[in-house]
Amino acid sequence: MDSKPCADSPPRAKRPPVPVKVVIAGGFGVGKTTAVAAISEIRPLTTEAAITAVAAGVDRAHAVPAKTSTTVALDFGCITIDESLKLYLFGTPGQDRFGFMWNDLSQGALGALVIVDARRIDDCFPAVDYFEKYSLPFVVGVNLFDGELPHDLADLRWALAVDAGIPIITFDARDRLSVLDALLAVLRHTLARADAD
Amino acid sequence: MTREPYRIDRAKPHRDDGVAGQANGGRVSRLRPYLLTSGRAEPVDDTLEIEAQVLTTDLGVTTSDRLSFEYREIVELCRMTMSVAEVGSRLRLHIGVARVLVADLAAHGYLVVERPSIHFTQDKQLIERVIRGLEAMR
Repeated sequence: MDSKPCADSPPRAKRPPVPVKVVIAGGFGVGKTTAVAAISEIRPLTTEAAITAVAAGVDRAHAVPAKTSTTVALDFGCITIDESLKLYLFGTPGQDRFGFMWNDLSQGALGALVIVDARRIDDCFPAVDYFEKYSLPFVVGVNLFDGELPHDLADLRWALAVDAGIPIITFDARDRLSVLDALLAVLRHTLARADAD
Repeated sequence: MTREPYRIDRAKPHRDDGVAGQANGGRVSRLRPYLLTSGRAEPVDDTLEIEAQVLTTDLGVTTSDRLSFEYREIVELCRMTMSVAEVGSRLRLHIGVARVLVADLAAHGYLVVERPSIHFTQDKQLIERVIRGLEAMR
């Protein structure tokens, strides 16, 4: 691992920056890590989280020994906003069965980008359900793999059955500016939600 | 039965342990991860966020050579600010283990930890700052 730390803070600065985070969710292979890599100032890092380590905080009584060998990979990157503020992007593990980990990822998040592959939209349903349930502001970002949208956005909204207030955008997970715009869409939606409350 | 206090300073080799000097080398990777945390999977503060920022204090710098290796690695790594998730990634520790070790070190004053506020989604000024910062990157 030869990537640099997220910020080159001088040793023992007064205070570390305040961290904020946005969750990047969606099905397996939908472009989450690609999107993080496109915009992160460090090469995305992967960390292993053991199921028991995470489950311990959620459901200690039912943590069974059989689970101890299972780990999930968590990809993340970061963007320095200014010297006292740093934005982290955490990708959810793609597999639905690791859904319980999302508490860890979503706690205190500013919002989420749910990435959708328009050819298999079912994959994003667990993410949409989760963020609706926990009232985390989210935006649906349709990753344009081939530069074309197989359905129009109105059809897609109908198929996703998301509230009319949830923005649906198209973007290219490989393109830095496009990912930047998608993140801005998430944060503006979060701001609108904060205004409405 | 009294519980032995949890210690994070380097344990002295046992006097009658003839192989103490060679017992540790090269074996580390075979340990199950939670041996590093003396079997605890629960951090001192188990709410420590994975994005919480970690920075070594002056105390941490001056005392790092007295710490056992897994703590010393963190204290040396965090001379540059990074998140708990990065500590886990760079030292190839499970997130849960990184959390426990960071929380231990912070409790002893070897690290400072900057945690996110919990009501971010309501903090409009903060959200606006992030938006302005991202717009400036266009």
